[in-house]
Amino acid sequence: MTREKMGNILVWILIIGFGVWGFQGMVDRFANGHVNTAYGSYIPWGLWISAYIWLIGLSAGALMISVMTYVFNVKAVKKVGKMAFLVAIATLVGAMMSVGIDLGHPLRAFKLIYDPNLSSMMGWMAVLYSAYFVTLCIELYFAIRKEQVRGEKQKAIKKILVVLGIWSIPLAFAFHGGVGGVFANVIAKPYWHGPMLPVVFLAGAFLSGGALFCTVAYIWRPAQSKDEFLKMMIFLGKTTLALLILDEILELSEVYVGTFYSAFGEGHLWQQILFGHYWYVFWIVHILIGVLIPLFLLTAKAKSPGAVALAGLLIAGSFLAVRLNIVIPGMLDPELKGIADAWVNSKLTFSYLPSVMEWQALLFIVAVVMAVFMIGKKILPIYQTAGEE
Amino acid sequence: MSKEELSRVDENLTLETDESRRDFLDKFSKGIFGGLIAGGIVNALAPVQARADMDGSNLNFAEPFKPFDLPPAIPGEDVILRMMRDLQRALKKPIEQRHWNMVIDLRKCVGCDACSVSCAAENKLPPGVIYRPVIQQEIGSYPNVGHVTLPRPCMQCDEPPCVPVCPAQATWKRPDGIVIVDYDQCIGCRYCLNACPYDARTFDFGMEYIDGAADAPKVFLGKEKAGKYETEASYEYEKEWKREDDKSPIGNARKCHFCIPRIEKGMLPECVVTCIGRATYFGDGSDPDSLVAELIASPNAFRLKEEVGTHPSVYYIK
Repeated sequence: MTREKMGNILVWILIIGFGVWGFQGMVDRFANGHVNTAYGSYIPWGLWISAYIWLIGLSAGALMISVMTYVFNVKAVKKVGKMAFLVAIATLVGAMMSVGIDLGHPLRAFKLIYDPNLSSMMGWMAVLYSAYFVTLCIELYFAIRKEQVRGEKQKAIKKILVVLGIWSIPLAFAFHGGVGGVFANVIAKPYWHGPMLPVVFLAGAFLSGGALFCTVAYIWRPAQSKDEFLKMMIFLGKTTLALLILDEILELSEVYVGTFYSAFGEGHLWQQILFGHYWYVFWIVHILIGVLIPLFLLTAKAKSPGAVALAGLLIAGSFLAVRLNIVIPGMLDPELKGIADAWVNSKLTFSYLPSVMEWQALLFIVAVVMAVFMIGKKILPIYQTAGEE
Repeated sequence: MSKEELSRVDENLTLETDESRRDFLDKFSKGIFGGLIAGGIVNALAPVQARADMDGSNLNFAEPFKPFDLPPAIPGEDVILRMMRDLQRALKKPIEQRHWNMVIDLRKCVGCDACSVSCAAENKLPPGVIYRPVIQQEIGSYPNVGHVTLPRPCMQCDEPPCVPVCPAQATWKRPDGIVIVDYDQCIGCRYCLNACPYDARTFDFGMEYIDGAADAPKVFLGKEKAGKYETEASYEYEKEWKREDDKSPIGNARKCHFCIPRIEKGMLPECVVTCIGRATYFGDGSDPDSLVAELIASPNAFRLKEEVGTHPSVYYIK
């Protein structure tokens, strides 16, 4: 059995498993609203918002791979451009679903596309995601079309792809830096507020998206020959390693500044992250699984495609923990001391652990993301290469 | 998608039957992309609908105030009467010339929670939604201990951080200083909850007080009788809001609005009239003869978190 076939079977098993179990969570969400979620009014955002920034980051990272293909003409990733667009579209769909189910009135969100409040960074998100989705679809169309025509037409399409690719660079910076801005703008939350967060978001997005692509490219290998495949994997591995180091420098800077003076500001929140109840989210899921093991694989086993793919999967998967550690700690501090006890209700507390239905709904979304990718891969000529003249 | 765009897509679909898959994909995508781009251009060129209703006129606030008789001022009268006269005087002015302020005298507050409970009853607040909790704290260490109570309504900030973050333009500041939420526009993203430096907004999760209560119709009537409260409509923003299905205000951000439906009729906010110690004062701060204007000028008046620059309309006296 080929690797691709095994990958297909495994992913479809996951799609069915996550889909069936996760469906219960989606039914709960639409039958009972937000009643059975663990977030409340004092911690208003939870797992679904964390998953949204995780998935949108994966999308932005995948887009950057396509930019390498079509704008910077990087030979090692010459044949993965179309697959990168598909990954970007699938994760974008998941991100929109995740933020959609988090809304109190999801259907009203469509009005944001034509009548947003542009003083709100979240209002901008609606505009930017719409532009991003349209750009991705157009890019994928032309990337497919490029392989189907020859001569002058092919040259013209190549130029269009370069222009679209260049346009998508500021777009990616805007929409993912903008997500960081959604949090960084909140003056009431010192843990979020500051100019670093949009930069951290961008670095994390490119890292997690690039990492995911290592796994995708390994399983469904768009590169044909063995030599080409090896070059592609080594390049993807090196890129991911560089991004991992950059991301860790930024994180180290954040931890250092955040914990330097614990009596004021967000120092005690960092104490919670590092040594609080959920210490394992940072140390085990993020540092061990998401940083140290991949670091070993990407350095000691840099020439092994399998090791690079595994490192990518570990980074991309565990990045949800990084997103959770950005979103949740920011809201743990009461704005006014004593408010938690002023009016007692399960939705008026300052602690949060995602409920089962939240996890179920998220797994359903992950199943949808994988299904979009698998179906897209099946019906679109992703592997088609007609050669160039 | 317009009818033309739909018919174009439909046309492409019809063509698919006798053309190759590649040609079909080609034309189909052109139709879709063309439609999307055309739609975008039309939207970009269309004049952006101005929110002319931001003064709250769409929420039926425009009904003119009809003054009613109040007894003449006498020495030693209840401050409620003076505040009602202040209120009537303010309501005769145009909305943009008045600025509602609240003053809470912490020396008089006994932490009885009457204001919180009456507010919840007035606005038919469900579990988990609270407009005016009373924070109570022990301070000091034995034997030098004290007890502080601090009612916390919405601060109705002059620079409200909750307003610019709303992606749907569903919350804004009225000319008289009250920050309101348009339940029909709110998408329930809860960004404003995070943006408020006073935790003054809560989300309506659609919970009910009778959730989980025992139900045995022929044995006792507890749940059925109690459930009547859950279906009572609230009249916030002078509109009837029934709690049914997932309709607003379920799924919306909610907050104190100084009891707009009451003050527009010349009545003081519910928390003011139910305060047993007369610790809460309300009126037009822009009227130099009003009680609140006098209290705001006292040297021991202060506002919460002045450092965040929100300029609250609620003052405390210590």
